[in-house]
Amino acid sequence: MKAMELASPAPAALATESPKRPSPLRELWSFRQLIALLVVRELKVRYKRSVLGLLWTMLNPLLLMVVYTVVFSTIWRSSFRNFSLFLLSALLPWLFFNTAVLQGLFAVISNQELIRKVRLPQAVFPLSVVGSNLVNFALSLVPLFLVMAALDQPFTPALLFLPVAMFILTVFTSGVTLFFATATVFFRDVRHLVEVMLQMVMYLSPVFYDLRTLGEPTTWWFPLFKTCLQLNPLTYMFSLIRDPVYYGRLPELSTVVIACSAAVFSLVVGFFFFQRLSPRHIHYL
Amino acid sequence: MRKGEIIIRDVGVCFRLYREKVTTLKEAVVHRFRHLRSAENFWALRHVNVSITPGEAIALVGHNGSGKSTLLKTIAGVLQPGEGEVLSAGRISPMIELGAGFDPELSGRDNVYLNGALLGFSRKQMEAKFDGIVAFSELGDFIDMPIKNYSSGMYARLGFAIAQDVEPDILIVDEVLAVGDERFQEKCKARILDFRSAGVTFCFVSHNLEAARSLCPRAAVLHHGRLAFDGPIEQAWEKYRELERGPMPGPQINVAAS
Repeated sequence: MKAMELASPAPAALATESPKRPSPLRELWSFRQLIALLVVRELKVRYKRSVLGLLWTMLNPLLLMVVYTVVFSTIWRSSFRNFSLFLLSALLPWLFFNTAVLQGLFAVISNQELIRKVRLPQAVFPLSVVGSNLVNFALSLVPLFLVMAALDQPFTPALLFLPVAMFILTVFTSGVTLFFATATVFFRDVRHLVEVMLQMVMYLSPVFYDLRTLGEPTTWWFPLFKTCLQLNPLTYMFSLIRDPVYYGRLPELSTVVIACSAAVFSLVVGFFFFQRLSPRHIHYL
Repeated sequence: MRKGEIIIRDVGVCFRLYREKVTTLKEAVVHRFRHLRSAENFWALRHVNVSITPGEAIALVGHNGSGKSTLLKTIAGVLQPGEGEVLSAGRISPMIELGAGFDPELSGRDNVYLNGALLGFSRKQMEAKFDGIVAFSELGDFIDMPIKNYSSGMYARLGFAIAQDVEPDILIVDEVLAVGDERFQEKCKARILDFRSAGVTFCFVSHNLEAARSLCPRAAVLHHGRLAFDGPIEQAWEKYRELERGPMPGPQINVAAS
């Protein structure tokens, strides 16, 4: 009888030849098409029933640029030539990073129905958020180039570096998004913390100014501020894009190396935490 | 391990139940000690040993909250057991719920591809299956409508149509046969019998003796997370009836047993 057989433990020989779970990276790779489909789904759902649809992706940063340009060139009297382009070249990567991280906070939670029912690497959800924002980022290069043309900004071969810059930024963003996506599952107030932190980080990143052209240190806190900027990986990320777009030159090698290291570090840490904690997500959803 | 084999070895799944679930940092800090004390361990499954050979069909029976669905979820790999291990070989088609992962805003067509990708199929593979899936679901032109406009029967039909076409080695079904009209139910049953004759391992949760008996010769009875019986379905059913008559069928919480 079956019941008798089952009472004895399974033979030890079976344990040795039992198949190991595939490595997390390989498993994720086998679901790459799912990530692509999730990206498409997000874009489709986002622009459903909107008349302008994808155009919003291009209009949004332009409108923001207008607001900031007016604010900063009239009130703050920024001395940059073509300030709107200077601003846009860092605003676009900032919006990409900011939106991906914010949307990624809920990537796991909003897909809980699926996570409860289908076995799949949960990292696909935050990564698809990064992916859909990358598509938006790429589309927003169109208005960027239009602004460049309108302002007679020279199109230099350095612009060919942009895809590399975007790749590095995407790797960096993925790590941060993964990290906060898993943290939010355990503590829902991570969301509020991150929202405030992102505001702070925006002003501590060279979006509205530039590290090289910062004024002379006149106040006691200025060296501290400058250190913050130098420690902020986004400073280097934005240089990767601003240098070709605004200054028309390739970023310095040291900038590229620092940006790459930060990106790899972020992805390794973010993925590690996510992978370690994701089996426990289901208990907290 | 051979394809289609499942070994469940001393599996335990524990849910920590908090009187008030701590989900914010402040609560965790403020109630640091209180929430630890008031945490209750609920073993949804414990010390469960079952091994299922390739091509075998097994029904899981038990009262509500006995751990059937939890066991199916651990087999499907959705839940990681806290104790013991579940080993399985081959592709698992988890029909734990039909249409899990459907996006109501998208059309049926988009959802077929999305669901296929969720199960690990490439776009190309799904393209080859697409016509068969639509034919099985009998949805016709509705396939290009957003799923939110579907009736619940249409929804379930599309779900089953996808799940039946994934060439599984292990088929997991959680009482999903009670969908659609009678004719469609017969069709689903016939499809499952096809799988059975093709040597697919089959795990089935049911409260319906007739359905279980027609599909599975063997049954495992779960009772409060323990394996109460494992053997021929007729005897299993008697055991299940007997347990059901016993005292208090319902989840039991072992207070602070950690």
